Amino acid sequence: MKKWISYGVLCLLVPAVVLCGALLFPAKQYAWISFCVALLSCLPVFLQFEHKKVSTKRLILIASMTALSVLGRILFTPIPGFKPVTAMVVITALYFGSEAGFLTGSLSAVISNFWFGQGPWTPFQMFSWGILGMIAGLLAGPLKRSRILLAIYGALSGVLYSVLMDVWTVLWADGFFNLSRYFAALASALPFTAIYAVSNVIFLLLLCKPIGKILERVQTKYAL
Amino acid sequence: MELLQVENLSFRYPKAEQNALEEIGFSVESGEFTLLCGPSGCGKTTLLRLLKKELAPVGEKSGQIIYQGAPQEALEDAGAIGFVQQNPESQIVTDKVWHELAFGLENMGVPTEVIRRRVGEMASFFGIQGWFRQKTDELSGGQKQLLNLASVMVMQPNLLILDEPTSQLDPIAAADFIATLQKINRELGLTILLAEHRLEEVFPIADRVLILEKGRILLDDDPRKIGPRLSELRPNHPMLHALPSAVRIWQGLNIAEPCPLTVREGRDFLERHFTSRAETLPTSEIPEAGETAVELKNVWFRYEKDLPDILRGVSLKVYRGEIFCVLGGNGVGKTTALNVIAGLDRAYRGKVLIGGKPIREYKGSALYRNNLALLPQNPQTVFVKDTVRADLSEILETMEIPKKERAARIQAVADRLGISDLLDRHPYDLSGGEQQKSALAKVLLSEPKILLLDEPTKGIDAFAKQNLREILRELKQDGITVILVTHDVEFAAEAADRCAFVFDGEILSADPPQKFFAENNFYTTAANRMARGLWKNAVTCEQVIACCRAAGGRQ
Amino acid sequence: MKAFANVHPAVSMTYFLSVLLVSMFLSHPVLQAEALLGGILFCATLQKRGAALRDIGFYLPLFLMVAVTNPLFSHNGVTPLFFLNGNPVTLEAFLYGISLAVMVIGVLLWCKAYSEIMTSDKFLYLFGKAIPKLSLVLSMALRFIPAYLRQSRRVSRAQKAMGLYAGKNITDRVKNRMRVFAAMVSWSLENAMETSASMKARGYGKKGRTNFSLFRFRSADGVLLGVCVLLLAVPLVGAVAGITEFTYYPRVDNIETTPAALAVYTAFGLLSLLPFILEVKEALVWNYYRSKI
Repeated sequence: MKKWISYGVLCLLVPAVVLCGALLFPAKQYAWISFCVALLSCLPVFLQFEHKKVSTKRLILIASMTALSVLGRILFTPIPGFKPVTAMVVITALYFGSEAGFLTGSLSAVISNFWFGQGPWTPFQMFSWGILGMIAGLLAGPLKRSRILLAIYGALSGVLYSVLMDVWTVLWADGFFNLSRYFAALASALPFTAIYAVSNVIFLLLLCKPIGKILERVQTKYAL
Repeated sequence: MELLQVENLSFRYPKAEQNALEEIGFSVESGEFTLLCGPSGCGKTTLLRLLKKELAPVGEKSGQIIYQGAPQEALEDAGAIGFVQQNPESQIVTDKVWHELAFGLENMGVPTEVIRRRVGEMASFFGIQGWFRQKTDELSGGQKQLLNLASVMVMQPNLLILDEPTSQLDPIAAADFIATLQKINRELGLTILLAEHRLEEVFPIADRVLILEKGRILLDDDPRKIGPRLSELRPNHPMLHALPSAVRIWQGLNIAEPCPLTVREGRDFLERHFTSRAETLPTSEIPEAGETAVELKNVWFRYEKDLPDILRGVSLKVYRGEIFCVLGGNGVGKTTALNVIAGLDRAYRGKVLIGGKPIREYKGSALYRNNLALLPQNPQTVFVKDTVRADLSEILETMEIPKKERAARIQAVADRLGISDLLDRHPYDLSGGEQQKSALAKVLLSEPKILLLDEPTKGIDAFAKQNLREILRELKQDGITVILVTHDVEFAAEAADRCAFVFDGEILSADPPQKFFAENNFYTTAANRMARGLWKNAVTCEQVIACCRAAGGRQ
Repeated sequence: MKAFANVHPAVSMTYFLSVLLVSMFLSHPVLQAEALLGGILFCATLQKRGAALRDIGFYLPLFLMVAVTNPLFSHNGVTPLFFLNGNPVTLEAFLYGISLAVMVIGVLLWCKAYSEIMTSDKFLYLFGKAIPKLSLVLSMALRFIPAYLRQSRRVSRAQKAMGLYAGKNITDRVKNRMRVFAAMVSWSLENAMETSASMKARGYGKKGRTNFSLFRFRSADGVLLGVCVLLLAVPLVGAVAGITEFTYYPRVDNIETTPAALAVYTAFGLLSLLPFILEVKEALVWNYYRSKI
């Protein structure tokens, strides 16, 4: 019952909020809508997780994987852009499924920004990392089998991450999708995009196997 | 009234060939303080976890556990049995002290106002007010374990089960923790079931002792009767070395009188029966000052420019082939001194000479090749691979030992330390003592001339300690210099050639153990505290027993 | 210091969201200037002088960069200042660039203040009721991170002292970090299982879990919340009435000075200065009592 009420509220409240915002902020309505979409697209996964029965071990596993990917972001701070966060999110998704991947990704964004600073980019990071984890979970079979596919996925997710984050930059700055600014933003972020892609590939290729082995061992030892 | 009854309990882990527990039967009276002990791997943890149904391991179980007259399965309230585990760190769930205290009550669905009160009450009982709003991460190990205890106590249990709660603490924090348990038992009348391997403080306050051996109950008796019954039953049992010093000395002397348990009782006992004819024992000779292996000259160290100095002019010489123990309380700079010698921290003033050469002149990994190695406090920091063998082989690989030779070298070190059958196991599946031996194996493969050990006796039982002592002796015979930092006075007294006392960033004295401890009044072994009125420099139990025998009885 | 930090989390959260909402999505130059000013003053009360100086070193170049680059992408507007590679650089685009910079820096400063005030425990308190499981996951992850950091430092020192990858070249370093990181995964998951035992031992997983916190909602918090909502309502009503609309292209609008517009400016000005006012008041009261002693 409670579940249905919350879903009902969601179905009514969410469009209402988005609509009101769009009317209130005519100059920035696209920025507002994209902001809401990023934030709200996390909600269904979050709510589903809240409402179903989750074992304590799984709960704490997600917490650990999140903490580990944030640890990775902190450990590799000296090298800008070169971070194992996406790789950790993907690995989590491969071994524990889409939902765990999405949660680890989006929670890593929230938590690491307690260190690196919260901002309007937080919801977009939540969404980007979350969705990268979710897709990896859906493709778990082939990605686990082929290292080439894994590398391609890593590279693509580096690009996708940049592409998604820059949409916000443009919408917020201009109030509409200014294509020339978008390309300029993508171009100026190119070195970073390259580092994201390369670091994802490197981390995935180097970490996927050893960490996968560890996760499998823990899975059998503690009956996860 | 009987609070807990265990009848005919047997347990077998899945895929195991033997039962982990075999026909265990005992009962615990309400208000009793029961001590459970036995060598590691005897089934203590399995038994304790089975008593708490939320933690019961998976496997085949037979027999019955009856709690307050009803089978364990009927117990609804998770707070009724409190459980504290070994590792202070990993039991903490939340990031704030106050939240950790409230965690159990939140789970029970207790309303906020009630939680506020109960948490407040517990915090003041345990003296937590001072750090109530702190982050759990900022606490010391002792504080963390106290917090774990308090956050179980908040749920108002009828039975408190503790699984080696002090094994990861230093002796002072451990003694505080045990004193708190005694307070809970005395003042609140709470029933306690405690598994421990450090028995000096616990033995005297327990009402009853259970000794477990290979999954069976070997003895179940009053603490005063445990010693004599055990030596009668199993004259070579490893547990005999773990008993409190008073009991060990009493046993060595064979006098028909009730067994003493505490230092005070032990001293009275000795003074009733013996008089000192010789003032002191002949002191063992000061080892010949040979070649210097490690030398510190007026070393100063601080972590950051604005922080206080940790080392204030430490000077020290350690000779080749010596076992040198550095003793001292918490935070006096022992471990820092070791890290400076290991080249992990750099002194900002003074000289550090390794093998006569200044430490700065060792470039890259030259300091660690065939020269110096450090075994850190926590052996888990040594392992990075998924089997012990892979970890051992890694270090040989970096030393550029050809592949063919590696297997033989690994086998040799494994045989020496008695870990051959552990090589293909995962490092995390080993017991504390086994982990330590495997870590030591990894360190020894780099063929060091100088071996540094940080708190090597932490978390290992009496048997593993004895084993470590023998290993150190052998290394010494091979000419390896050993410097170890420890809190464990008993171990230092038995193992060291020389002991040094560190306080406030300085080394105050460095002498052979007999001289060293004879000059301390408090910071000395329990055996010495008992006997020092008779023989000032009798330091170990064996020495006290030997003195007594030589002196002969009063009657 | 930090009078605002002691406010009830629900109030401070409402406050931050209000200011951020207006400063992020209403692009009126006056409102944005007010948000920037409020942000600067708020951050100034939160920091030591040295940190503030360092901040200027960071935000000033960023300001210039955002302001200058806009006319390069955007050639709208009717008043060309000069031509660059055959493209007009217009006054309108230049002014829009400045307003963009004011907005970006303003929002960054407010986010900085937010991070300073809305510590993780407040965040968890606010979301603990709505998403109890996830907020527990967050809380655990927040507790794990410093512990993991410490352990990873220990592991890498332990490895170094065994002569493994103790070299200073970049391959050794990266390799070492990777090994340590993989080892941390093992260590953390083993420990996590002990944590899960400790949670179960304390009855986690039953229905009807409550949420405990140390925060109390006092009457002063109620007043502040009221003020905050009221001050937010004025610019929102203004937005509905079209007062806050402001366009730069093709020609820059004039800034309205009708009574209604002035009311909107005043209300938001007060809103963005609120923490600074509280801070000053607190300091004055404190000094007054000190002088009485």
